[in-house]
Amino acid sequence: MEDFLYFFTFQDPSIVFVVIGIILLGVGSAYVGTYSFLDKKALLGDAISHAILPGICLGFMLAGEKNPLFIVSGAFISGALATFLSSWLNKNTRLSEDAIIASILSIFFGFGIVLLTIIQKSGNPEMAGLNQFIFGNAIAIQESDLYIYGGLAVFIILCLTIFQKEFSLLVFNPDYGRAIGFPMGMIRVIFNILMILSVVIGIQAIGVVLMAALLITPGAAARFWTDRLGVLVILAGVFSAVSGVLGTYISFVIPQMPTGPWVVVFLSILALISFLFAPKKGVLSRYISRRIYLKKTHRDHLLKLLYKGIEADKSGLPIEEIYEAFPFQKKQSEQSIKNLAKDNFITQNQSFIELSISGKSEAKRIVRLHRLWELYLNEYMNIAPDHVHDTAEKLEHILTPEMEELLESRLNFPKLDPHQENIPRDHDEL
Amino acid sequence: MSFDQNAFLIIITAAMIAISCGLLGVFMMLRKMSMTGDAISHAVLPGIVIGFFVSGSQRGLEVIIGAGILGILATLMIDWLRRKARVQLDASIGITFTLLFAIGIILINLLAYKVDLDQECVLYGEIAYLPIDLWLTKSGLNMGPRILYLSLLNLILVTAFIILFFKELKVTSFDENFSKVIGIPAGLINLSLMSMVSYTTVSSFEAVGAILVVALLVVPPATAFLWTRKLKLLIQLTIVLGIGISIVGYYLAYLFDSSIAGMIVSVAGIAFLASALFKSKSFLSRFGTSRQPESLKKIV
Amino acid sequence: MITQVKSPILEIHDLTVSYDQSPVLWNVDLSLPSGKLIGILGPNGAGKSTLIKAIMGLVDPSGGYVKLFDKTLEEVRSRISYVPQRESVDWNFPASVLDVVMMGTYGKLGLFKRPGKKEKELSMESLEKVGMHGFANRQISELSGGQQQRVFIARSLAQNADLYLMDEPFAGVDMATETAIFELLQEMTAAGKTVIVVHHDIYSAVNYFDWFIMLNLHLVASGPKETVMTEDLLRKTYGGKLNLLTKVSDLIRQKEFNPLKN
Ligand SMILES: Nc1ncnc2c1ncn2[C@@H]1O[C@H](COP(=O)(O)OP(=O)(O)O)[C@@H](O)[C@H]1O
Ligand SMILES: [Mg+2]
Repeated sequence: MEDFLYFFTFQDPSIVFVVIGIILLGVGSAYVGTYSFLDKKALLGDAISHAILPGICLGFMLAGEKNPLFIVSGAFISGALATFLSSWLNKNTRLSEDAIIASILSIFFGFGIVLLTIIQKSGNPEMAGLNQFIFGNAIAIQESDLYIYGGLAVFIILCLTIFQKEFSLLVFNPDYGRAIGFPMGMIRVIFNILMILSVVIGIQAIGVVLMAALLITPGAAARFWTDRLGVLVILAGVFSAVSGVLGTYISFVIPQMPTGPWVVVFLSILALISFLFAPKKGVLSRYISRRIYLKKTHRDHLLKLLYKGIEADKSGLPIEEIYEAFPFQKKQSEQSIKNLAKDNFITQNQSFIELSISGKSEAKRIVRLHRLWELYLNEYMNIAPDHVHDTAEKLEHILTPEMEELLESRLNFPKLDPHQENIPRDHDEL
Repeated sequence: MSFDQNAFLIIITAAMIAISCGLLGVFMMLRKMSMTGDAISHAVLPGIVIGFFVSGSQRGLEVIIGAGILGILATLMIDWLRRKARVQLDASIGITFTLLFAIGIILINLLAYKVDLDQECVLYGEIAYLPIDLWLTKSGLNMGPRILYLSLLNLILVTAFIILFFKELKVTSFDENFSKVIGIPAGLINLSLMSMVSYTTVSSFEAVGAILVVALLVVPPATAFLWTRKLKLLIQLTIVLGIGISIVGYYLAYLFDSSIAGMIVSVAGIAFLASALFKSKSFLSRFGTSRQPESLKKIV
Repeated sequence: MITQVKSPILEIHDLTVSYDQSPVLWNVDLSLPSGKLIGILGPNGAGKSTLIKAIMGLVDPSGGYVKLFDKTLEEVRSRISYVPQRESVDWNFPASVLDVVMMGTYGKLGLFKRPGKKEKELSMESLEKVGMHGFANRQISELSGGQQQRVFIARSLAQNADLYLMDEPFAGVDMATETAIFELLQEMTAAGKTVIVVHHDIYSAVNYFDWFIMLNLHLVASGPKETVMTEDLLRKTYGGKLNLLTKVSDLIRQKEFNPLKN
């Protein structure tokens, strides 16, 4: 608790730097990552982040210390080289993109490891600082780092915001962009540069191995909440910033604990929550709306049953007959009857059930849609009358009034369905 | 530079690991699943850590089982994300392996005092210590380097797997739908291949590190693919490359005093890039006699 | 115009197929006689490949079922052969022509058994039938599109089946080869086999097939050539999609789940 207060009241200026740093670079990476996620190039980011390791080591070797400028430049150059090589290999060999990305990733990383061990054995005391680049240590962000990393992050965010139109063209419709005269090749290059930059600055906090998460996960999670690009990137940025701060907090409380893994865990938790609980697209809400829908279909079928009773000159049905009509579904039938009674669609007298006025009208609507669709299947899709029932049974619940109108006019306000049964209209007497 | 018994042991072990990885890698590449292989070899980490924790100082079957379970779990999680949550494939892969790897690293740090495993070992292994990590029987008999046996067992199992299921692997990699139609259990074959990849990752990670396993899985097959259009030759070439990079990598590492595994991968990388340059379309059209297949391709 | 037959070799009952949430085949209901050369016609995206895949159990229908030889697919797998669209595989795969054709024999071989002399002979015969025996040892990446197509046909011949389903086997094939392959298919049907072919060209189709299936998201017609080759039905097949059907598809896609699924 003490730690918690100390950290989140930001008394310590070094914590302020760290938090600002992680928020900026988290938002920057999430921002770029969302575009590359939409571009279906998420794993290129993974390759670039592994590929940066040799550059970091070379920068370190040249400077002889952990100089942010040398390290950022080295990292940028090796990231750019990896990106260039991937697209060159893609154009010039018959290897698949998947094999190319995996090869580039592991070759650069392997070479990085070689350099890392060489530095290690050289006995440079600053070596410990270098190890942080593998799993990240946000706590080590200092004021001087902040100007470079934070500055680059702000630059990335500004670039993406200003050229939002161009980059969304790149992601959604590059051919159209080319056709209306945008230099799409150039835009791709700039986008790649931004991507490399965002990886370069993210490494300090997350580390090369896990950097991919900062690029991929926020966008994938945010995608579940919205379809609009503007909202999408902001949400991704928020996810990323929140996870970044939480991860930093953990590695502040537990010494020796690298930041990167915790940021990734928090990001993944947010993503999991999104996958499960996001409205509309989430697994749970899809499940729930399916349940609600199934309930509605049962209710509709019950209304239809009562309506058919009326057609057979029975003013209503005993409840037992209804249960029998839906074998093994007594529970649902009870529930439906309760709901229908509450909506005043049916009246229950002892155990005899009758449609009310509004119930009749609703039942007619469903039967009408069912029989209209049957007729449509029969007339327009040549399906034999004895085969049209099943699909109509499913579609009667989802056809909108607008579709109903279209069907009516297309079929010329028919009187009978393919089974020679009456298609009921609202004004029909019952 | 010397050729002593230790060098021989290290090279033999490295070569065996490279061959096991390469054999599986050929099929991973042909299925366009190299990145899935990458994801699996990251994702098995928590299984390895838990296996170490459970088995204590005795590194035993628990580790392999733990990793095997995690490997399959990763495959299923990628599949779940794709099908149920409807996340696109590349993102599913990325999310899965980063999460599982992160959990592995956290576990290592949390269990640091109880588990004889550190981050560096996970990353790049230490094949150099192989000759002193011996397998002692209960009666105290020295059987030689432990990892040598692990790799040998791994190689035998991988080879047996490839030989037994060669026909099935071939047809499912080329045309999955057709294989399903003729009644080959494509899903099962796929899951077995993934299990073999996770097993190979665990078996090899102490020597070359979990991440460099990926390199051996991917780079030699990709390099060989540039040189041949025949499956048998592709496999043979991959094996030769595995042996070659182990020998050259070892001596270069010796020369520069660096990580052996890292150097092996770097050598593989140089071979790959040189092959790509030599076999690239632009190089062929500029310097070589433009070979018939390339020109045929354009007509098609 | 849908002609149903007695004791059909293939019976499709009220089949509806959706990808994710868009229905691409609506209520296909037909039955086919055996020993005929049957053409499937329809514009691009009509669901022709989907129909074949549903028959072969490669996509799960959201409604309806398929029966082959009056049995389920599992029971008669070895009697059915399938030629997928050429673009469905990566032809850079390192395999020789013979390798690919031999894959046709794998189904009958079973697990662990390796193809031997008998399988090789069968494969060579199949190659000869499509005029590709000279290419047996050629790598598939070095073939032209038409040659690749013929390799696929040879592979299916090597399956030695009773019912053949071929998805656009004539795409990218030159006229002479097309005629040759077509004669081969006619010989097969004369010998009692049934061949179902997705075909893209109406004009040549008229000469080739005895029976037609016309698709455009739904079944427009299925029947003998004389009864279905009418201008009216062709216009229904190729003259654009049914407006209402597209609207309902949109409606379904906007739902969070597929309401057509049971
Ligand atoms: N795997 C798939 N996922 C989603 N949609 C698909 C898939 N395969 C085909 N479709 C869509 O289904 C429709 C029918 O496709 P298909 O059966 O291939 O048509 P055809 O073979 O008649 O050209 C097309 O609109 C196509 O876009
Ligand atoms: Mg098709």
